[in-house]
Amino acid sequence: MGDEQIERLVDANAAALGIRIAAEHRKGVVAFFALATRMAELVDSLPLTPADESGSVFRPVAPHAEE
Amino acid sequence: MDASLQLWRSDALGTARRVREGELAAADVVLSSLDRIEATDARVNAFTTRLAERARKHAELLDQHPKRSKLSLAGVPFAVKNLYDIAGLPTLAGSKIERDAPPARRDAVLVRRLEAAGAILVGALNMDEYAYGFTTENTHYGPTRNPHDLTRLSGGSSGGSAASVAAGQVPFSLGSDTNGSIRVPSSLCGTFGLKPTFGRLPRSGSYPFSASLDHLGPFARTVRDLALVYDAMQGPHEDDPACAQRAIEPTLPQLDRGMQGVRIGVLGGWFREQALDEARAAVDVVAGALGTNRLFELPEVERARAAAFLITCGEGGALHLNHLRERAHDFDPMTRERFLANALIPAAWVVQAQRVRHWFARRVARVFETVDVLLAPATPCVAPPIGTEWLEINGKRLPARPSMGLLTQPISCIGLPVVTVPLWGQNPGAPHLPIGVQLIAAPWREDLALRVAAELESQGIVSAPIATLA
Repeated sequence: MGDEQIERLVDANAAALGIRIAAEHRKGVVAFFALATRMAELVDSLPLTPADESGSVFRPVAPHAEE
Repeated sequence: MDASLQLWRSDALGTARRVREGELAAADVVLSSLDRIEATDARVNAFTTRLAERARKHAELLDQHPKRSKLSLAGVPFAVKNLYDIAGLPTLAGSKIERDAPPARRDAVLVRRLEAAGAILVGALNMDEYAYGFTTENTHYGPTRNPHDLTRLSGGSSGGSAASVAAGQVPFSLGSDTNGSIRVPSSLCGTFGLKPTFGRLPRSGSYPFSASLDHLGPFARTVRDLALVYDAMQGPHEDDPACAQRAIEPTLPQLDRGMQGVRIGVLGGWFREQALDEARAAVDVVAGALGTNRLFELPEVERARAAAFLITCGEGGALHLNHLRERAHDFDPMTRERFLANALIPAAWVVQAQRVRHWFARRVARVFETVDVLLAPATPCVAPPIGTEWLEINGKRLPARPSMGLLTQPISCIGLPVVTVPLWGQNPGAPHLPIGVQLIAAPWREDLALRVAAELESQGIVSAPIATLA
């Protein structure tokens, strides 16, 4: 993802989520988003199959299990 | 009480034994700890809250407790990172925003378990805001300084937890570790630290950071104290959905079993490349003491680290969405822009990261079929000066603060239990500073990592002396 694309994505997602990014913070936010983009490229380029499940597992809650 | 007794110097095991036997009053032990905090904390800045009145009251009750002789932690003072709930106080989690939160109705589960075993809470400890950092350079509450060199970092995010133990303010403390926040400050402050298996200890009543990765655990100055405290906290709790339904598996009785049958290996690749000379030297000393030169490489470590990074971003960003909408100006400048960016990342990145995490966990499980404990540095280097912006590692100029977690993040990504053990004198330019080595075991084998730590301690290879604070 190029720099301009990252900036557009930051602005669009911030607007969609109702987050106002002050002008003095925008440069830092874009830089961190760019770092996350590089991390996503690493994660995304590992070949996985549909059988590779998520590391996040939900545990159903039985009645009366809560305090 | 005779102040010359310096009760604050005692370990938890010894203090508890003497209180159980009626040789010491818990009230005197607590007073000694509070005096030590008073004498040192203006320099260290480990504590954000002192609980003198509560601690004195609990000590008086303990001294009259009919079952005092049965309590494993009778009269032992301790403190917790300020993301643990303490009844009657807002849970700060290192933030300014949470000062406005309602006070906690009751103590965190682990605090309750420790106090049921006779320990006495004396205060809450400094940390990076919302646990998002490796340095405890907290703008709201000031930096926690390394007791072994007050110009240097304590590490983070549980910096106050490590520093309070290293400074002799308390014999043990509790912290949390999402990407390295127990192991990094243990390394920089020269304490023992245990990050248990993900799901081992209940997090109920603690402020979360990234629920898929958050662990709680103890710091101490001896391996026996670490095991003692850990054993007192074990057991499931229904309020933490990630907490495993496992029975208590005591480790303290296992510590004297020695090394027979325990297979040790050294992690190569990423874990040597991302470390400076002193970190590699520390691992080599430990490997030599344990008589191993078996080298292991884990696959795709950099991607595993990236997966942990993205899961943290996604979950941490979403957790604070309302704060970011309404009170972004109240965040610590050290975390604000990162949290803002994190809230914006696409869901697919986080989901994919969770899949990579599981892929990596399965491959590493195969490695543990032929080895029991793996060695790796806990940090790339000894404690840098407070305010350090850049480090050079493996020929690359890297931002110093996130780089302190380069060697811990891939391990917590898959929830492995780790004991961090401190070595000294590995950096000739800073021989007064410690550095930690991670003893990494397969899931649920905290006992093995603690046994290896006990062996190294008995050989005199690792130790956690109280800082002189000269």
